[in-house]
Amino acid sequence: MSLKLSKRARRRLTKGFVYVFLVAASAVVIFPYLWMALTSFKPIEEFFTYPLQWFSRNWTLAQYAGVLEDPKFLTCLWNSLLVSSIVTAVSLVLSIPAAYGLTRLRAPGGKSILVGILSSQFFPPMIFFVPFYIILSKFKLLNTISGLVFAYLSVTLPICTWMVATTFRNIPRELEEAARVDGCGDIKTIFEVVLRMSLPGILTAGLFAFVLAWQEYIFALLYTTTTAAQTAPVLLFYYLGQHQIDYGRLMAAAILLSLPIIFPFAFMQRYFRQGRGEGSIKG
Amino acid sequence: MFKRRTRFIKGYLFAAPLLVVLAVAVLFPALYNLGIAFSNFDPMSNVWQFSGVQNFAKLGNSPFFWNSFKVTLLWVVGNVSLQLVIGLAIALGLNSIIRFRGPFTGILLIPWISSFVVVGILFIWIYDPQMGVLNDILLRLGLIERPVAWLASPQLAQISLIVANTWKFFPLVMITLLAGLQDVSPELLEATQVDGANWLGTFRMVILPTILPSISTGVLLSTIWAYNSFTLPIVMTGGGPLRATEIFGLHIFKLAFDAFDFGAAAAASLVLFTQILIVILLYLKVVERD
Repeated sequence: MSLKLSKRARRRLTKGFVYVFLVAASAVVIFPYLWMALTSFKPIEEFFTYPLQWFSRNWTLAQYAGVLEDPKFLTCLWNSLLVSSIVTAVSLVLSIPAAYGLTRLRAPGGKSILVGILSSQFFPPMIFFVPFYIILSKFKLLNTISGLVFAYLSVTLPICTWMVATTFRNIPRELEEAARVDGCGDIKTIFEVVLRMSLPGILTAGLFAFVLAWQEYIFALLYTTTTAAQTAPVLLFYYLGQHQIDYGRLMAAAILLSLPIIFPFAFMQRYFRQGRGEGSIKG
Repeated sequence: MFKRRTRFIKGYLFAAPLLVVLAVAVLFPALYNLGIAFSNFDPMSNVWQFSGVQNFAKLGNSPFFWNSFKVTLLWVVGNVSLQLVIGLAIALGLNSIIRFRGPFTGILLIPWISSFVVVGILFIWIYDPQMGVLNDILLRLGLIERPVAWLASPQLAQISLIVANTWKFFPLVMITLLAGLQDVSPELLEATQVDGANWLGTFRMVILPTILPSISTGVLLSTIWAYNSFTLPIVMTGGGPLRATEIFGLHIFKLAFDAFDFGAAAAASLVLFTQILIVILLYLKVVERD
């Protein structure tokens, strides 16, 4: 029997396949998180059943309680929050005026400087392993929040500057000129026209810096040794290194650590989808 | 004239704080690293001594260096090709639908925004020989007869790690190609279909030529990030078993902080940097030709 389908039917069939494919791909993407979440609500005894028991019979919050009662985790979470906030603030304070100067004031060579700044984003973090270590130890900044902020700025500043500059470039110049004709100075123009118009872009850049710092792991691993400055991702790594890995607690901690970046993501994904966030997260 | 001049000065005045910080936090350390690579440097006594290419010669004689060279090459090729195939397939799928395109794209971007450490932990847990869900699924489906230790043998660990890293990074390729697909001309597409070309023909004659620049960009980005990897291997295998997953990032880390051979570590980081530069130059050449 030969299968003869009308053109329309064939098109619908193809479309059906595409949706099935995309649903399957989404499932593969979501599954690890789902599995992690399922694990985090299981009591420890259920980990070892055979075959695996996917859904717990005795849902429990014990793993979360265990994590949140661990003073080390709370300290590290606080360190993460502190470092990420400082890095975000400093990145924005430095990159907004710079992006304005290089794009709107048409500083000659501004474009090439911007490209240079962006390209530093592609430097392998490994070229900084040794020099950062020496610099930080010279200034007694190893194992301090300030030391981490210094190292993180090398990651967040280039991308923040680029993102803010892109936003600024999209503001019609006439608006700015109009403000100047009305007698606004530089500072006033920046605050009343440029910043207001580019607020979404600036917020996105800030969120991006925050997320980058929040997830940063390499420098935090290299330059912190105690909870004085250790961030939460590093603590997770130490949980893993323990002789008897407490997977339940690990999963709960990983969920808690992921939550703060889910919400910014909802906001940022529009930006990603425009394809402008190309080549961003560093790891 | 005067006005242009003030603008010039003002522009740089605005940029000055950033440029100073970047000079201190990026440019100076990068140059410092260069200096360390070409000298005998003792961190304890802080004595510098120019040593020419001695550090590089040392690397050249080290079997571990060549091991990580090979492992990195495999890692890059494996990751880039897998990410390209998956990213392209999904981008084509997303591009051909209208309903739910936003939600699907949003979901498929999740791995990219995920933290590396969390991804590492997710996959360690999934790959776990006894408690891991991957073995559980495969056993239930009857595809394997006994649990597999995904991270325990050299080759399997390499593949398992590439799969995990592809999960994390395919969205970057996907989103880059999706942006490129927007440039495919609908008229041309329709014309080819009227001419009776099948799907593969349309793809080859219309879609592929249009998205070739995006493919180059996607390949460039995923190559760079593959070269720059560090976290997944250190979290999941620590470079093992038998250094089978000791990519450059890990090797440099071990040289610097296990062996405390700062000179060799700096030299190795320059070798890595050079490879990335070569890739970028190749990319620029390809883009220029088009």
